[in-house]
Amino acid sequence: MSELLPQNQIDSFKAKAAAISHPHELIVDLLRAIQSHHGWVPDDGVLLTAETLGVLPIEVEELATFYDKIFRREVGKRVIHICDSICCWSTGAEMITDHLKKSIGISLGETTADGQFTLLPTCCLGACGDAPAMMIGLTTHGLLTTEKIDEILQQERAAIAAEG
Amino acid sequence: MPKLTIDNLEVTVPEGTNVLEAARELDIVIPHFCYHEALGAVGSCRLCAMMFVDGPVTGLQMACMVEAQDGMVVSSTDPDAIELREHVIEWAMTNHPHDCPVCDEGGECQLQEMTVAGGHGVRRYNGKKCTFTNQDLGPFVQQEMNRCITCYRCVRTYRDYCGGTDYGVFGSRNRIQYGRFQEGTLESPFSGNIIDACPTGVLTSKPFRFKTRLWDLQEAPSICPHCSLGCATIPGGRYREVQRVKAGINRETHGFFICDRGRFGYDHVNHQERPRQARVDGQPVAVAAALTAARERVAGMAREHGPNSIAFLGSSRASFEGSVLLRDWAAATGSQQLVYEAHQGRDHAARTLAARLGEHGRSLEDLRQSDLIVLFGADPLAEGPMLALAIRQAVRNGGKVIVIDPRPVELPCAASHLPLAMERLTDVLTALAQKDLHAFDNHEHAFLENLSEQFDSAQRPVLIGGADLLGGKGVDALCSTAAQLSSAECAVGVMTMLAGPNSYGGALLAGDGPDFDTILDAIQEGTIRALVCLESDPFREAMDPSRAQAALGHLELLVSFDATPGLAAQRADIFLPTRANAEMAGSYMNNEGRLQAFQAVIDPGLPISETGAGNHPPREFFQTTPGSAPEADWWLLAELLERDTTLAALRKTIEQSDECFVGLSAIDAESTGLRFSAQGSLPPAAEQDLLQTGVTDALKLLAITGPVGSHWLAHLSSPLAATQPKPYVVLHPEQAEKLGLSAGDRARLTTHFGHCHVVIRTDEKMVNGLILAPQLWDTALEGMVPGSMLDCQLEKEGKA
Amino acid sequence: MNSYPQVLFKNRRPNETILLPEYEKNGGYQGLRAALKMSPAEVCGRVKESDLRGRGGAGFPTGIKWSFFPADQPGDKYLVCNGDEMEPGTYKDRQLLLADPHQLVEGMAIASYALQASIGYIFLRYAYEDCSQRVERAIAEAIAAGYLGKNILGSGFDVELHVHRSAGRYILGEETSLLNGLEGRRPNPRTKPPFPAQRGLFGRPTNVNNVETLATVPHILTNGTAWFQNLALNPQSAGTKLFGLSGHLNRTECFELPLGITLREVVEDFGGGVRAGKKFKACLPGGASTPYLTAEHLDLMMDFDPLEKVESRLGTAGVTVFDENTCMVAVTRNLNQFFARESCGWCTPCRDGLVTISWLLDRIEFGQASEDDLVMLKDQGRNIKGRSFCALAEGAMGPVEALLRLFADEIKDHIRKGCCPFK
Ligand SMILES: Cc1cc2nc3c(=O)[nH]c(=O)nc-3n(C[C@H](O)[C@H](O)[C@H](O)COP(=O)(O)O)c2cc1C
Ligand code: SF4
Ligand code: FES
Repeated sequence: MSELLPQNQIDSFKAKAAAISHPHELIVDLLRAIQSHHGWVPDDGVLLTAETLGVLPIEVEELATFYDKIFRREVGKRVIHICDSICCWSTGAEMITDHLKKSIGISLGETTADGQFTLLPTCCLGACGDAPAMMIGLTTHGLLTTEKIDEILQQERAAIAAEG
Repeated sequence: MPKLTIDNLEVTVPEGTNVLEAARELDIVIPHFCYHEALGAVGSCRLCAMMFVDGPVTGLQMACMVEAQDGMVVSSTDPDAIELREHVIEWAMTNHPHDCPVCDEGGECQLQEMTVAGGHGVRRYNGKKCTFTNQDLGPFVQQEMNRCITCYRCVRTYRDYCGGTDYGVFGSRNRIQYGRFQEGTLESPFSGNIIDACPTGVLTSKPFRFKTRLWDLQEAPSICPHCSLGCATIPGGRYREVQRVKAGINRETHGFFICDRGRFGYDHVNHQERPRQARVDGQPVAVAAALTAARERVAGMAREHGPNSIAFLGSSRASFEGSVLLRDWAAATGSQQLVYEAHQGRDHAARTLAARLGEHGRSLEDLRQSDLIVLFGADPLAEGPMLALAIRQAVRNGGKVIVIDPRPVELPCAASHLPLAMERLTDVLTALAQKDLHAFDNHEHAFLENLSEQFDSAQRPVLIGGADLLGGKGVDALCSTAAQLSSAECAVGVMTMLAGPNSYGGALLAGDGPDFDTILDAIQEGTIRALVCLESDPFREAMDPSRAQAALGHLELLVSFDATPGLAAQRADIFLPTRANAEMAGSYMNNEGRLQAFQAVIDPGLPISETGAGNHPPREFFQTTPGSAPEADWWLLAELLERDTTLAALRKTIEQSDECFVGLSAIDAESTGLRFSAQGSLPPAAEQDLLQTGVTDALKLLAITGPVGSHWLAHLSSPLAATQPKPYVVLHPEQAEKLGLSAGDRARLTTHFGHCHVVIRTDEKMVNGLILAPQLWDTALEGMVPGSMLDCQLEKEGKA
Repeated sequence: MNSYPQVLFKNRRPNETILLPEYEKNGGYQGLRAALKMSPAEVCGRVKESDLRGRGGAGFPTGIKWSFFPADQPGDKYLVCNGDEMEPGTYKDRQLLLADPHQLVEGMAIASYALQASIGYIFLRYAYEDCSQRVERAIAEAIAAGYLGKNILGSGFDVELHVHRSAGRYILGEETSLLNGLEGRRPNPRTKPPFPAQRGLFGRPTNVNNVETLATVPHILTNGTAWFQNLALNPQSAGTKLFGLSGHLNRTECFELPLGITLREVVEDFGGGVRAGKKFKACLPGGASTPYLTAEHLDLMMDFDPLEKVESRLGTAGVTVFDENTCMVAVTRNLNQFFARESCGWCTPCRDGLVTISWLLDRIEFGQASEDDLVMLKDQGRNIKGRSFCALAEGAMGPVEALLRLFADEIKDHIRKGCCPFK
């Protein structure tokens, strides 16, 4: 996790950037690649992106801070995005959120002390038919109940433990 | 030209004008934040709402976003428009702190003005406010983010207009924040413009902080004295010191912005060592006594040794009016020994330009519209920073830029670059004019051929030169090339950066007089015995100061008029303190021959910060203000020549005696200035080769103007000191390698002036075989004057 | 429950994605074949004739938009598929892409040909990684089969498609923000004019269409315009539409239904009626930006024009239903918080105005408001609507206005009682 991005990926981004006339179009891709490898994008990740693509650090930071799914602060091993938009809200998202908070012992915007989970509110996930919904990493979970949440958290904890 | 009706008044405006500007033509001021004439319309603040009642566009619209069209009927007083403007202000104020009484912007806050104009008086929102953390942006700009109203003007100024790369906008929704990626000093040499651009108190001048409340500041329109471009400025002073400078507006020249050298280089006015006392033979005397002494001793010398035993040396720093009177004094004395620049190369360059520019002259506004700009031996960021910004605008409008220079000339825009030895610049110009490129090797040949082709298709090309590297011969070649490349359809323009604000004016007045090197020879020989220096310091400014110092030692009489603590001022037998540019009215003629007037901001006097040493001023009482003796250069000379000492009378006299200057009286400090048809004379033919080197295999050092603040007035300005790099030299990486040096190494640089310690920098974009040194102030080598070439040694002292 | 012809969902099977062989077997890529036999202008003409209207929310006629496109201008031209789908209550594009992504690929190949754009971008939101993967697989299959790439189906026409994965923010659904996002610039909307068709992606002519719009195109080419028009129940309209149901319904699924179906049929038959036997109070007919409908609108046709007549909009046809126990102030507050949070921050009315509205709705909901606040809510809304730089803030005012228009009593109740009457 300490490495920002494997060298071969950096090289491949470099090659792509050199081949196109608008390397800026790769900024979000590269930030996402760093995030998926390193968990989040530290300052060095912004600098690496700028250097790899031959753009200014400020141009990278202007994007990194605009998008809510790019994390410029350290997050837990799993980021839980809990939807608070209308369909989820109308089907009990507040209750679900409370349960989540209690289960992992943190408030929205916080990371658990053991660094396992970060809990963030999100706008609609496009799972309105399955509301209430949340997304962990890139996986959406719908039709949430308190039981289902317990189950998912247990699975995630096990998976984290297995990752070591 | 569309004709439209705004608030029942008809107005006709040029094609492409927006309705907000059209209204301004009628003196109807529509409140706005994000719109700025130089930055354009982006429609983000939504404040400039007007009702389009009839015509091609209808309904409530943002006036900045709508181009004026025939038949439009627009209202600024429509209730819907008024209501929206009120709301926009209310929204802009939701996060704004209640700190007007202590805010640094108080007194010139556009938010405050717009709040009043917009009619928002009562705060209804009392929910939570967003708060932000500030960044330390370095010595010039103070940030107070909580006052931000998110107009985006700072980024648009810093990044888009000025080409800065280290300031941006972060976040989104109501959490927009502006700043650097990481805290640190703003890198752009135009960073201070964001202070002017910010309509509220987010970005304010750090050196000016806590000095004066803005309503107490005395201000007047002025012209920047730091280079030859003549940018309009508005210095502000209080407590007998100049405390800040902001940009004035001149659409023909710099536009709306100025460089940091001009903005923060005001402090020479307040310099502690500035001589404020008239002196005769080392004794303090009243100004009148010193004037009498000067008049009589010069006259005496003329009687005794003939009029040509006295030489008169003006300078690019003196006002145009003072310069005219110096010429009159020389004429009254009967002396032909009159010159306006101690540096031969700069003198010849300026005089050649004044003689040959004619129809080729271009303004910065012309440059912004140019489609092809070729720089020969010109480094705008060093020699005239606002030229670099004009070039950037040309590039933003689709123009191309080509640099031919021995130095690694940096520009805030894309440019192609051909490194070429200084002595070959003239060859290139000639070759281009004759379309004969056979003397150039492959790479150069291809580059120049391409350049030649671009010329053929360009509509508004401009050649740009720099006096330091081109000298008289180079400028001559520049003008000839422009003439030869011009055709009936396409006139090629010329702009040359000269040494100072009135270089061109001095050059016009110099006529076909000798250059200062000839005068030095005569001083050395003893035929010239007296020298009058008007705001000039030949000890420092001559091309070879060591030779100058040796010769000047022979003088029997040295008279100096100056506002700065130069060597001539110190050593003068008769000294007269002059006013600095911010303390007087007058005019300068910029490098395109445009005469621009300036006004006095404050009266001279020892700053209260000095007399009070930080405390209350001393409780001693004098008849006059301490340190208030300095007078305008023209006033002193008028007094000396027993002429009328009002500026108006003086200008009238100039108009009467020189009909080419008719119109001078009419120029006011807020106009765009006036280009006269006056044409100068060519300098003497003999010109020293810039290569003053005896030894052929010695290392060659080219003294250059460094970045912001490496010349005299800037050197005297303490706010700029913070941006001064440690002494350094630049060389090509290959040459560095040959010398066993690499970037960052410490080395000892020796010339015939002595030695100093420098840091090595390398740059691939410069010619190989040359060492570049900016002015090395406060070292033994500070005498090296930009544009001179010397032999040197460079020895490694330590690793990076 | 009526059964209606299925077009976009005809191949759909639960939890499965249709691969190329099956897509081809059921008539896939016939539309592309048909298109390539026509001239690009004829293809445009066909789409225009079909009366297809954009499915991204604004309902602009697709054929007319295409006919403005400078297809014969030389140089790069782009086709962009808008798969940002972040308006709460909208999840139809995801359902479509998960079920049968080749329709989009085929639709983009056809549209590219019609517009003579040889590069297509498919812009997908962060949360749709599942869709991204399926679309990428479909693209790979299509390339292998000669439907994409150089000289497609021997026609001499080249087209390449790229998937762009975004990183959050609703504003990217606004087409000019989306273009900035694709270019890697800050995704603020751009000034119009110039419109994307004149100067879009990288300054070149660009056409932006919604996923569903593009996926519908192959079927029009395969089956003809008359067939397409006859799909709609409203004779003034054409085609089917994906309706994503959500909220207090028994069945919250995505259905393909004919345009012109009544709201009652959608709610009662397809949605299975309101949950727990409650009464229908109101709904968002087409996503978070569309003004509410109430029980009096149940017999209205769900279609573009009929809903505009009652000051609402079809939007994305994501129908979110609220039962009789729902506080509409609270609903509006939730919706407005979404818009305030998703504002890009470019223009003042949206950036700071929506926060002001949120504050007012908080006060009303929590019983702290006075009549003055109601006055203020009204004047805020009046000055945001139509005054912002892009349509985001305008959309945000949809529910606020509807609240003031349809539920004035409910607001008054809050103010009078000093608390939320539904709690
Ligand atoms: C704030 C905002 C968000 C939008 N989001 C989407 C979206 O997620 N998907 C979409 O297709 N169109 C969205 N649109 C509409 C697009 O700007 C554009 O009109 C549409 O993609 C055109 O496609 P169509 O004509 O096929 O409907 C949005 C518009 C606005 C103002
Ligand atoms: S309305 Fe204004 S602030 Fe809101 S999203 Fe559009 S441009 Fe951005
Ligand atoms: S509103 Fe929550 S997923 Fe759609």
